[in-house]
Amino acid sequence: MGRLKDQVFNICLMNNKLRSDFPIFSNQGEKLPIYFDSACQSLRPQVVIDSMIDYYQNYPACAGRSMHSFASKVTQKCDESRVTIAKFINARQKEEVVFTRNTTEGINLVANCLDFKPGDIVITSDKEHNSNLIPWQVLVNKKGIIHKIILSLSDNTFDLDEFKKTINSRVKLVSLGFTSNLDGVTIPAKEIIETAHKNGSLVLLDAAQTAPHQKIDVRELDVDFLAFSGHKMLGPSGTGVLYGKYKLLENLEPFMVGGDTVSSSTYTTHEFLAPPEKFEAGLQDYAGIIGLGEAAKYLMKVGFSEIEKKEREINSYLTKELLAIPNLKIIGPENSDKRGGIISFCVDGVDHHQLALILDQSANIMVRSGQHCVHSWFHHHKIKGSVRVSVYFYNTLEEAELFVREIKKVIQVLL
Amino acid sequence: MFCLISFLILSIIGIFSASHRVLAKEAFDCVFRRLTLRPCNTGFQEKMKAKITGQLLPRSVILARLFNKHFELLAWLLFLVTLVSIFWTGKGLFNFYMYGSCNGLNKSGFCALDPTGQNNKVSQAGGSCTVGEGDESKVTLKDVNLSTFPAKNNNEKNTVVFIGCFNCDYTRKAYPIVKKLIEKNKVNFVFAHYPVKGETVYMLPIGYCAYKQDQSKYWQLVDKLFASTKEENGNPDYLNQLLVGLGYSLESIQSCTQSQETKTAVVRQRIELEKTNIYGTPLVFINSKGLVGPKPYRVYDRILDTINIFKNK
Repeated sequence: MGRLKDQVFNICLMNNKLRSDFPIFSNQGEKLPIYFDSACQSLRPQVVIDSMIDYYQNYPACAGRSMHSFASKVTQKCDESRVTIAKFINARQKEEVVFTRNTTEGINLVANCLDFKPGDIVITSDKEHNSNLIPWQVLVNKKGIIHKIILSLSDNTFDLDEFKKTINSRVKLVSLGFTSNLDGVTIPAKEIIETAHKNGSLVLLDAAQTAPHQKIDVRELDVDFLAFSGHKMLGPSGTGVLYGKYKLLENLEPFMVGGDTVSSSTYTTHEFLAPPEKFEAGLQDYAGIIGLGEAAKYLMKVGFSEIEKKEREINSYLTKELLAIPNLKIIGPENSDKRGGIISFCVDGVDHHQLALILDQSANIMVRSGQHCVHSWFHHHKIKGSVRVSVYFYNTLEEAELFVREIKKVIQVLL
Repeated sequence: MFCLISFLILSIIGIFSASHRVLAKEAFDCVFRRLTLRPCNTGFQEKMKAKITGQLLPRSVILARLFNKHFELLAWLLFLVTLVSIFWTGKGLFNFYMYGSCNGLNKSGFCALDPTGQNNKVSQAGGSCTVGEGDESKVTLKDVNLSTFPAKNNNEKNTVVFIGCFNCDYTRKAYPIVKKLIEKNKVNFVFAHYPVKGETVYMLPIGYCAYKQDQSKYWQLVDKLFASTKEENGNPDYLNQLLVGLGYSLESIQSCTQSQETKTAVVRQRIELEKTNIYGTPLVFINSKGLVGPKPYRVYDRILDTINIFKNK
């Protein structure tokens, strides 16, 4: 692309008002990055960065432990963040929000705190992220639980019938990825939860790929546990949330204990605090928690209807264009509406890593390549890996057009 | 193959660049795996291939495609080119160490280690001080009679012959080096004044007579002439002063220089020197090995050592 075209393109991009909230788009000069890896980690708006800088510059202290004004401010800000997150997912009370480091920690917390007995069954799907697979595999060895996997339908969507056939009274927990990071498919969570509850099973949703893109209403879903990460929803890396129904959280024994989890202790005894504190051991990432609250506020301000609309528009265009390329296969349903902001694809005879690297080197287009932490699915299907394009509301159609032009060139080179 | 070539190249670049050092490590890992008969699973080759293809793509799709398609062949070519380069670099380093020139003994082509060609410069006969254009390979002592030239330390195994001009910059540069060589080693030494510039021709008969009359004073005279300025050497009165200063009788020297014997000897010396195929000074022979231009001390010394080793065997 020529210099003039580049400039026109950049002007066009910068006209997008929302993009101006993201400093990354104003830092790069002429060579703007095209960031299509938001499923891994999203970009951050200035407000999130500012809120964290504000903490470090103006009140860098502990929450809850000290009596001074800095400590009061940190406590107040962290509490505000908890309230915001509770509102973000429509939790009944802020105490249902446990701050974690990421989704993985949230899932591990449930896996290690629920009182699993030998023979208890945990159900997952066949395309879980390692974070929602390995904890259960470990419990199989450690506690003798049974791990059952529901295979997806041929279009990689959730097989509800098979799930209904599989669930029985020994199923203690249904732990599913709400939206798959592999193909962007969202499961019919409400129906699954209803079925599970009728059976007396608990449900844990891995909402890492859902929280940034769709409105989640934990009360309407009636989900028992829900984990998501901050870094995929404009928040700081190293932040996450585990939502749990308060009564369930009350009954869980914390697995990571220590400072800030107890109200008092003697040399031989201790008294745990109420949720969520009893799960938040040690000094917390206050700047991160404050930043996460800002990110949630920002997303609510933008509105999920706008976000979904933008993602669908781009995904629809990309799907149509990519499907026209010979030898290119999209993983998951061809209907882009079923895949949110994610398009994973393979091109016969083309190495996915090479394709991604060349896109980055030649056009500053950043996509993910590999097995996306869903190794099990790729091994099962005997596929080496895929290229994953994941878009967010700050992406534009112009970027998608440029991507299509470039990928056609790259495939031409590699084939 | 690509890993090996990358390792070689990146190791050199890595000396100056930290980012390339990381790549060099990756390349080494790949090479090490191959050497230990394990598959290279670091993806280094694929990564580099994709990176270079990505850089070529905005310039030309065809070029990027050709590169990607013939990557292995290009890697082999690059490897061969590197091997050849390493060979020539090694040879250049060897030659520079051995002969003071990357190109070999008495070769005056460009040498990165001696960019101005100082070790090969000579003063051309009758010309100015420039890089010589004669045939370096033809200099020889074959059939050259050195018996009439000034000589000292006779009856040693090895002989160093120094042919130079008192007013030539390169001879003046080489003289102290050669002097050091003959002082440190037991050798016969023959000195021949070959006046490449007209202003020192007058010294030929005087030198012949001075040596004939007093050998020890003659060598002092040579030292003084090499220590004097070129302007002073061009002045016959200055030479007379030196002769007087050393205790020579000017009348005796003058009488000697005008004798027929001296005139004949000087002509004969000139004829003998021409037989060496000399085209510029300094020309140093260590036994039969001729070295054109002022070489570093190590070059003369090493040649002498090598000769001694072979003789002792």
